[in-house]
Amino acid sequence: MRIACPFCGERENGEFTYLGDASPKRPNFAADSGESPERVEDAFYDYVYLRDNVAGFMREYWYHGGGCRSWLIAERNTVTHEFRSVIAAPGVGAANPVQAGE
Amino acid sequence: MVDYLWNTQSPLQKALVPGCHGATGAHPGVTLREVRDIVLVQVMARRGKAAETAKAAKKLFGVEAPATPKAVIGKTATLVWSGPDQFTVIAPRTDEASQLAAMAQAFTGSASLSDQSDGRCLIRVSGARARDAIAKFSSLDLHDSVFPVGTAANTSVDHTAVNFWREANGTDGHPVYNMLVFTSFSDSLWHTIVDSSLEYGVEASSAKAA
Repeated sequence: MRIACPFCGERENGEFTYLGDASPKRPNFAADSGESPERVEDAFYDYVYLRDNVAGFMREYWYHGGGCRSWLIAERNTVTHEFRSVIAAPGVGAANPVQAGE
Repeated sequence: MVDYLWNTQSPLQKALVPGCHGATGAHPGVTLREVRDIVLVQVMARRGKAAETAKAAKKLFGVEAPATPKAVIGKTATLVWSGPDQFTVIAPRTDEASQLAAMAQAFTGSASLSDQSDGRCLIRVSGARARDAIAKFSSLDLHDSVFPVGTAANTSVDHTAVNFWREANGTDGHPVYNMLVFTSFSDSLWHTIVDSSLEYGVEASSAKAA
């Protein structure tokens, strides 16, 4: 399996580390917003533990640790291992004004 | 009272045995050289300051810093791409303190610098069979059409991070590849390169950066 890093070009998958589903968003509750503790807990439980088991294309985080050390978001078919697109994750590179995780 | 004496020494002090090894012939297929006495600084643009960093680099080195995996030769140093909005500056060591001071001043406010002069070891592999030897331990495609002179790559060799770039062909017309590796891994990488080169004949040496 070879992955086309948007910075380095196509490389062997041994240079990359897989993190997982890129779709969960970290719940963002303002302090003292009046939200019930149960709802906050449920939202974090979803975020930390619950994942869809997708057969087909899914968006995933990959880390190019053996190369440019950038976090990437890839669209990969979990059935065929076909990569449809690989882009930099938010926050990668100083030119990008967005901080990671935002 | 104990007096401590600190002597700088090459990380390849033990591994590097100067001379010819392996197959004997008129010309060794691979020439392996440790390039000593370098000044090496990692330049990382700060968030939102990529344009300022590029401008400062242009002013100091007289060339555009590489925005893609390339190595460019500037006035006093070679700039090698090492990731998005970051590059490595490599220069022969003349007066280290003033070399570092000039860079610190040039990039004030735009980039973060990290002095890696004694943290990395620079190994230069060249010769008619250099590409064949490297192909045994690297997954990079080094064909001229993909990896011409001036191309750079961050890659993983033997599970070790390596900054790799190709400079102008040697006087013999054969390609010249540079590998920058953590000093603590240089010994292991050196042995890997020598072992891969033995069948072509390898000439090992060290030299001051020029």
